[in-house]
Amino acid sequence: MRVLFKIMDRLLEQVRLDLLRPHAFAAERVGFLVCGVAKLAPSGTVILAHSFRPVEDTDYVDDPTVGAMMGPGAIRKALEFALNNKVGMFHVHMHDHSGRTRFSLIDARESARFVPDFWNVRPGIPHGAAVLSRNSAFGMCWHPAVPVPIEIDEFVVVGSPMFFTRNSP
Amino acid sequence: MSQRYARQSFLGPNAQETFNNCRVAIIGLGGGGSHIVQQLTHIGIGNFLIYDADQVEDSNLNRLVGATREDVGLKTPKAVVATRLIRSVIPNASITPVPKKWQESAELLRGSDVVFGCVDSFSERQQIETTARRYMIPYIDIGMDVHDLGTQFAVSGQVILSMPGELCMKCMGFLREDLLAREAENYDVAGSRPQVIWPNGVLASLAVGIFVQLMTPWNKNYRRVWYLEYDGNLQTVATSNRLEYLKEKKCNHFLSVEDLGDPF
Repeated sequence: MRVLFKIMDRLLEQVRLDLLRPHAFAAERVGFLVCGVAKLAPSGTVILAHSFRPVEDTDYVDDPTVGAMMGPGAIRKALEFALNNKVGMFHVHMHDHSGRTRFSLIDARESARFVPDFWNVRPGIPHGAAVLSRNSAFGMCWHPAVPVPIEIDEFVVVGSPMFFTRNSP
Repeated sequence: MSQRYARQSFLGPNAQETFNNCRVAIIGLGGGGSHIVQQLTHIGIGNFLIYDADQVEDSNLNRLVGATREDVGLKTPKAVVATRLIRSVIPNASITPVPKKWQESAELLRGSDVVFGCVDSFSERQQIETTARRYMIPYIDIGMDVHDLGTQFAVSGQVILSMPGELCMKCMGFLREDLLAREAENYDVAGSRPQVIWPNGVLASLAVGIFVQLMTPWNKNYRRVWYLEYDGNLQTVATSNRLEYLKEKKCNHFLSVEDLGDPF
């Protein structure tokens, strides 16, 4: 199954700027991309980022072992949003470097913990997590049709100019 | 890099890779669309999705690039003509020819990076733009017309880039309710409209120029909205004055998340 992730360049810029804001104690910031979803023929999914919901300052937990730890309030608000809107939710954070990027072990572990919870409130829709670098991206998609999370094959930044990050051939 | 593309290497070190990987949809393979297919082929586009329900007729041969007299006799679908043209230059291109109305296989459009619309009616343009916005696809529209002014004919046309998130064709005043309504009233009496090859060639070239700038920004003119007006009598092209009055305007159509993706 091919998974394509599309985002407008203006929204991506807004996300990057927000995620680079300093926090009182967290070393990095996180948030959620609110997404529409469509089937791709013959087999696949396109995720369409619509807007960004940053985690509020007060919803971080002071945990020096990780870059950023969301508190229960952050997860609850994101789940509530998915409950009230027919959307896919993609957690997003940033690694502040250029070039290709991947999840850290902690990213992978924490995403696997909370992303499937979105199916409790909004089943049947893909949800996921992504990490941005300054000029690339990587992400995983929890898709209802696939038993294990799958890598997002391609990120397309829609704008002038267009920008493509292909993670698979 | 292949010598084939050596003369367009100024487009950037990754230009050919970008062209080879990108997925382009072209709706309408007549006078305008056939020119676009031809140019995109020579540029080196690797993935084509091409739609046209029509077959070649004798009256097409004054402008349909790639069509022959034999195609008239054989009633060759225009999608087959376009496929043949692409294959003659890029034998291994990925081509999905759809010899029927695009609306019958609209789901194929969703994975496209850019869609070109070369259709005749306002209503069809509106449908394409709505679909393109839903799946976040830049839409490049071209069209030409010949008007009888009584004392002479006037040839005109337009090229529009409708970029998701930016001004749409309704905002630009190109798609208007009165035009759509008038078109619907006259649906059965449209008849065949005058069409000639050279304005289609001009408009297609402009559209391909906008596409290349989007994909491989070889110059610093990062425009997000294009609305070019062609005057075929004066042989001039100019940015529509309408954009001047819309500088501060933001599109308030297609804003909701429900306007994106499949409706659930």
